Formats: sequence, C-alpha cells, structure tokens
Amino acid sequence: MASSSQLPRLPLGPERRVQLMATCLCDAFYDDVAKATVEVLEHAGVTVDFPEGQTCCGQPAFNGGDWPSSRKVVRHTVKTFAGETPVLVPSGSCAAMLRHGALLEFEHEADLPAVQHLARKTWELADYLVNGLGLTRWPGRFEGKVAFHRNCHNRGTASEAASLALLQSIEGLTVVPFGEAEQCCGFGGTFSVSFPHLSSSMGHLKLDHIRAVKPDYLVSGDMSCLMHMGGLAEKDGQPVQIRHLAQILRDALVNVGHRA
Amino acid sequence: MSTERNEILARVRAALAPLPRRAPLPEWDHELIQLRAAQPPGDTWAQFFQRFAAVNGTPLKSGAELVALLEQGGWRRGYCDPALWPALEGFFPAAFQVETTFDRARVDDYDFGITAAVGAVAETGTLILSDRGTSSRLAALAPWVHVAVVRPDQIHSDLSAALAALPDDPNIVWVTGPSKTADVEGILIEGVHGPGVQAALLLG
Amino acid sequence: MATQLIDRFAADLPPDKRASVYQSTKATHEKRTKLLFDHFADPNHLRATAGEIKQHVIENLDTYLPIVEAKLAANGAKVHWAATAESACATVLGIMKARGATKMVKAKTMVSEEIGLAEYLGKHGIEALETDLGEFIVQIDHDHPSHIVRPIIHKNRREIARSFEREGLGDYNDDPGTITRRARKFLRHKYLAADVGLTGANFVSVESGRIVLVTNEGNSRFSLAAPKVHIALVGIEKLVPRDRDLGVLLNLLARSATAQQLTVYTEFISGPRAAGQPDGPEEMHVVFVDNGRTEVLASECREILRCIRCGACLNVCPIYRQASGHAYRSVYPGPVGAVLSPLLAGKQFPELADLPKASSLCGACQEVCPVNIPIPDLLLRLRARGKAEGAPRAAVASPPMGAWALLASQPAAWKAALLGGRLLNVLPTKFIPVPALRAWEEKRTLPAWQGGRFRQWMRERRKS
Repeated sequence: MASSSQLPRLPLGPERRVQLMATCLCDAFYDDVAKATVEVLEHAGVTVDFPEGQTCCGQPAFNGGDWPSSRKVVRHTVKTFAGETPVLVPSGSCAAMLRHGALLEFEHEADLPAVQHLARKTWELADYLVNGLGLTRWPGRFEGKVAFHRNCHNRGTASEAASLALLQSIEGLTVVPFGEAEQCCGFGGTFSVSFPHLSSSMGHLKLDHIRAVKPDYLVSGDMSCLMHMGGLAEKDGQPVQIRHLAQILRDALVNVGHRA
Repeated sequence: MSTERNEILARVRAALAPLPRRAPLPEWDHELIQLRAAQPPGDTWAQFFQRFAAVNGTPLKSGAELVALLEQGGWRRGYCDPALWPALEGFFPAAFQVETTFDRARVDDYDFGITAAVGAVAETGTLILSDRGTSSRLAALAPWVHVAVVRPDQIHSDLSAALAALPDDPNIVWVTGPSKTADVEGILIEGVHGPGVQAALLLG
Repeated sequence: MATQLIDRFAADLPPDKRASVYQSTKATHEKRTKLLFDHFADPNHLRATAGEIKQHVIENLDTYLPIVEAKLAANGAKVHWAATAESACATVLGIMKARGATKMVKAKTMVSEEIGLAEYLGKHGIEALETDLGEFIVQIDHDHPSHIVRPIIHKNRREIARSFEREGLGDYNDDPGTITRRARKFLRHKYLAADVGLTGANFVSVESGRIVLVTNEGNSRFSLAAPKVHIALVGIEKLVPRDRDLGVLLNLLARSATAQQLTVYTEFISGPRAAGQPDGPEEMHVVFVDNGRTEVLASECREILRCIRCGACLNVCPIYRQASGHAYRSVYPGPVGAVLSPLLAGKQFPELADLPKASSLCGACQEVCPVNIPIPDLLLRLRARGKAEGAPRAAVASPPMGAWALLASQPAAWKAALLGGRLLNVLPTKFIPVPALRAWEEKRTLPAWQGGRFRQWMRERRKS
C-alpha cells in the first residue's frame, strides 16, 4: 500500500493551520501522543483545530475486506474533515489509509472526488514538518539512544527520511541502526488477531534485533506498531520503552525549558 | 484446436474491452540498463575475460593454454568441431584421443568438447552459442569440460548490443559460466547437467 | 478463537525447517538488493519500467497473441491453444501419441505444475521425468515444490540423501556435490532416451517469436539437445513486445531471483534445429495455456499477470519466511501466490480465500518486485471479494466490523464508547465479550485505556 501511487498534494496556504486527526488509538490509549503532537505543531507555529466529531480513518474494516463498513466510516471522516485546511495525522498508517487505501475502495463510488480531496490534503506528521513546513532540524535536546522503527506504511514515502532527519538533528540523540530494519513488526491490524502465531513471531524477531543494539527508546511514527511490540515485550517480561516520534520532539523542547 | 484458440482470444478481447485506455509501451533509453561500473569503450576482450573469470569461467588465450588445462585436469578424451581441429591439432600430444564426430551412444566417454562460439558479451562475461554455429549441441553440453572457441571480431559490449545482434538462428544460447545449482541447502555446486568447467578460447 | 490455516501451519512447522527457509530467503534477498543497487543508478526506475512493459503487454494481448502466433508458425513451430488444465495436458499427450512417443524429460516449468502434467502423463503410461535437480527430488519424494525458484528450500541434505538411497541412486551420502553428481549421471541417460523435451518459457518476444528460457543447471539445454521433439508450455501472459525489451527484463530477472547478473544459460528458441544439424528437436510445439488467465485479465487484479516468477517477493516476505511454501496449499506460494492462486482457482476461489489474508500488508513484496506489481492492493481487493462472497475461510478469526462501523460513523456513540472502554482497565479480559481483544491479550499486554482524556485536555487547552 505504502509504495503505491499517491495523488499529489494540494498546495499549503500561507496560514499555518491544520485539522488534527488524533487517531483512534490515541483517542483510546495514547492520549500523551496526541498531546505531544499538538505541542509540537504549536511550537512550529501551527494552529491546531480538533474536529470533535472525528472517530477513525476506516482502516480496520478496509484491511479486513469489509469495504462497505469501511466506506461508511470514511464517508463520516470526509464530512468531519471538510474544507481546505490540511488534515494532520500522527500515524503513517492512518495517513496511508486516507492517502491511498480509501481511493481503492471508492474506485467505483460516486463520491470518489470527495475522498480524493481528503487524500490530497492529508499529511503524516514528520512529512508535514519537513516537507510541508520546510523544517530541516528540530531544536531542543534529548539524551539517549533511539532505535527507529520505520512503520511499513511509510515504506517508499517521504515520511521515513523526514522522521530520521528530525530525529538525527536533535542534540544528544543517537539513532542506532539494527538488523533487518526493512522488515515488518507483524502488527498488520486485524492480522495481529487472525494470525496470532505469525504476528507474534514477526514481532519477536523485530524485538530481538532491537534489543541487540540496546536502545533507550524504541521510536516510531505509528502507535499501532509500538502497541504491538510494546505489548509483546511486556508479556515476555522484558519491556521496552516505546515512544512516538511526537513525544521525542516534544520532550526535546521540554528538556531545554520550552513549553508551549 | 482452433475452437479453443478462438475461445481464448474471444475471452481476451472481452476482458480488455471495458478498459477505458490501454497502457502504452514505455519509451526507455539504454541508460536505464547501463551498469554503473560500465567500462569506457576500449579493450572489450579484457573486460570479457575479467567478467568471465568472475562467473568461474576459464579464460584461455592459446592452444597451448588449452592443452595445459586439459592435461592438468587429466581430461584426455574429447571431441573437437572438425572445422576447428586443423588449427588446434598441432597443440595436442599423442596421449590425447580427440574425435571429430560426437557419438551420443558413448556420451560418458568424452571428457571435453571443443566447439565454436558465435560471439561473446563483455559486460556479463557471456559466450554466445548458436544452432548453426555449433557442430554438435551435445558435445557442447554433455562433457565435463566445454571449450568455446571465439574469434576476436565477435564481441559485443553489453546485453543491449547482443540483443540487437541476435543471429537469425533457431537456438541461441548465452552461456555465463559453468552449469550450476544451489538447490540443496543453497550450497553452490557446479556441473549439474552441463559442463563443470566452461572455458573460452580466443583464437584469431 | 479459531485461527487461520496458514497461522496453524506456521505454528506447527518444525523449527529447523523454519530456520532453513528463513536463513536462505534472507540471504538471497540481501544479495539481490545489494547487487541491484551496486549495479544500477536507479533500480526502482528500472523496476517501474519493467512493470510498464509487462502491463502494456497484458493490456494488449488481443493484438499481440495473433501476431506472435503467426511469427512462431513462420519460424517453423506448431502453435496449440489450451483453455484449461485438462486441455493443456491432453494437447501434450496428443502430440506425444502422434509421434508414438513414450518418454519425456521436463525442464522446470511452473505451468506444468499448475496443470498437473507429470501426473496426468504418468496415468497415460508416459514417463515424464523432472530434470531440474530440485524438481527431480520433489518428484521422487512425491512431494510438492515449496518455492518458485528453489523447489526444495524446505528439505535438508540428509532427507535428500535418504531419498537417493531409497531410489537406488547410491549409498547414503549427504554431500551436496555427491548428490548433484549422482543426479547428473542418472539423468543424462534419461535425456538421451527421451522422445520429447518439455520446457516452459520465461518470455516470448512478439517481434521475433523467440522463446526465452532462463536456467542455471543446463537441463533445459539437454532437453533441447537430445530428444527429437520440443514442447513449450507457455502461459498467454508471457509475451514481451520486442527483443530490445528483453534487456530490461533479463537484467532484472536473475538479479531478483538468485542475485546473479545473468543466469548461466539464457536460451533463445525460435524453432526446430536447422537442416543438417546432428542434435536438437526436429519438431517444435508451442502450447499457449489460458487455465484461468483470461479470468484474471478480466478482474481488477490483472496486474498480477505481469509476474515473471522470480520469487523475490517470497524471499522478502515475513509470512513466507515463517510459514514456508506449503502453507499456501497451492502451486504458487508467497505474496504472488496469495494473489494468483485464489484467482486461478476460478470457482474454487473460496477454498483459497484465506490466502490474501495471510499478510500484514507491509509492502515489502511490491518494493522488491521486478515488475512493480502492487501486491498489497491486490491482496486487499481479494479480501473484499472474499468478504463479499461470504467465503468462510476468509472469515475465520476475523473480527466482524459492522458494529464498529456503526460506532465509528456516529460521534456521540463513539464518545460514549471511549468512556465506556475504561471498563477494560478493571475487568479481566476473559469477561470482555470481544474475541479479538482476548486473542490480542494471549500474546501481548494491552495498554491502559485512556479514552476521552485527550479530548478533555484539548477542550481545556482551547479555553485557556
């Protein structure tokens, strides 16, 4: 999905303003990631709107093959994030759903143009900061060794390089490479419960590679991968410290006394 | 038979009819398949021999080198293309038994086969054999050692050039090293059905 | 909660088999990637171009098939057409019967696996012997290949040595060199005794009518040197417009398949041997096989017909690496098989409707595909088809989404659920009536539910 064709984006206007899609996972489990996203964006001078009617991007049903159910949710999302203001998602996976997946399931639907419009104004966080706003480095300071898991939905997109550029620019932070980094963590949405053995085997392989380089934090742009890997590691009795990219960026600011 | 033909073609047409447009054939330049380490035009034979050795081919520059190789391996019985034999015979001591007819009933009797190649590709270290240019397909394939004899004017710089110059021939074989397999546990073994030693002799 | 067949297969796979499949696919993948990026300035552009060439071909088969048919005939080959597997097998048998032929040597061809040719001919009293080393071992073991390029990736040398001993090919010896030498000795007399050599085709040039075969062992050359008749089984999608375009595809195929610049043998076959030549076939037959391909062509998954059978998607796939090829219960395993096998199954689609689900949709397959097939998109389309057709195998262990969709399209209900989810924090999982959650917690912990907290924080922030 990730490396497939994506529509070119609508140009960003002069006003730095976004509609935040917090994602269902942050809504339910990871409130601090959504908060960090807001603080990071505000530090970058961006006004953050939060449409209260938002729910989910529709991906669970889309991946599960239940496209009629997924379309119902996507239609709701299209309505909720109306207008020209860009939509900002702190998740490569939800961004990919809106940028690409939704287009597949709306191919033969009359309201395809509205879905295309949403696709063209949707940004993943790191991509927005680097390629939308033109940031080349991130201020602040963060002491620590970080293993960066490039979530598969960012495969072949601008988000991977953008995430790494931001992380590597932070004073005190070291990104440590690990083995088979191109491989999937095994989450895969409903795959994680339909194929529990495969999903957990893939996750353990990933964790083995990550633990081998002894990072202080496992960082990604997607809470779904982190929830999976963090949950596996905890179940093993060998927990890893998981952090969303937005949390690292926010903490780097906090560490030098910036506070939005 | 022809009903099945028409049935298949009708299904193909029906499958494609709803497409609003057909994907065009892309234009592409030679640059696309140009190797990064492409050699500047120059000594293409030197490049060929370097690449040929890299794929475990055995480069030979003279009849004497050929005989030395065969003596070293203890390969004394073989076949030679009758058209090539007059030029090579002088290099072979009397201990060798060389036939100019390949008898398929005695396929295991031949340690080596010497046949003509119709060209080579420098970029990949590839020898080009053809049906009309090879005196015996079996002699070029069944013995443990195959020696392909190439002439200096028969070289192509790269795959594109070789494809553009494919001879009008029913069976062209590009040979890039000895026959090999990695089917058993991924371990490379040479000499599966074809030659375990693939030599190229430049004669001119 | 029941789990999917492929998941169970993977869980039951002996650890040593998994380890050997994993190690060798990983090694090939890594070599492939290094070679492509070392050799070419822009391998991804090369892959995209190859994909465009093949997409052009499949979308113009109506034009190209009659042209190549005429070209092949002009070159001296006899062209046959087979709509189904049964018809393809019967066509081959018919050609052999017409010559009074009883013995066939077979080079490696996936189409012959697909149509069950060797078994069919065996039933009709014809010895059809596999000559590719891996396929030969599969045949003597009455097994099935588990990889497109490496048929016996699932076997170790000790198993092979025992099979050779059983078949009277020598005393037990598990040295791969000895095993290979013994097969060489045994098979060469089979080539010489055979009436027919059967091959597939990696490509067929429409421009010249040349059939291109790409191999390493030399068995296809032998099959075209000793027997008097050559039969080529060709899927109708194998065409390439011009000889020149082979430059793109040949540069990608061996690198993607086995991390070689070129395979040892690249053969261009355009007809029977020339007059006066001692070896080689006197007759050449080309059998164009449909067997479900026109149905794939009519579907929204037609991109899968670009496939050049390199196996790179198998090698990179985390599922294939853990589950191995037999998990897919079909001739084509791995990501390509998860798309192609259910499609080629025709009416038996529901039998294989679980295959497209055996993917985390990570996209690694498309990233390595030499013809840039959007495999994840095609898997998703087939998931939608499986769901729409109500295929039971697709539904196994798949959380139903109807209630979720209702919730996720009504903001008030969603917000209520966010608060209600806090029950998760106090109730033991076994009391929670959501099987997917229980399945999750079997392998992982669930983080604490914080539903509503962010929204409250945001509202307070907006007030201040």
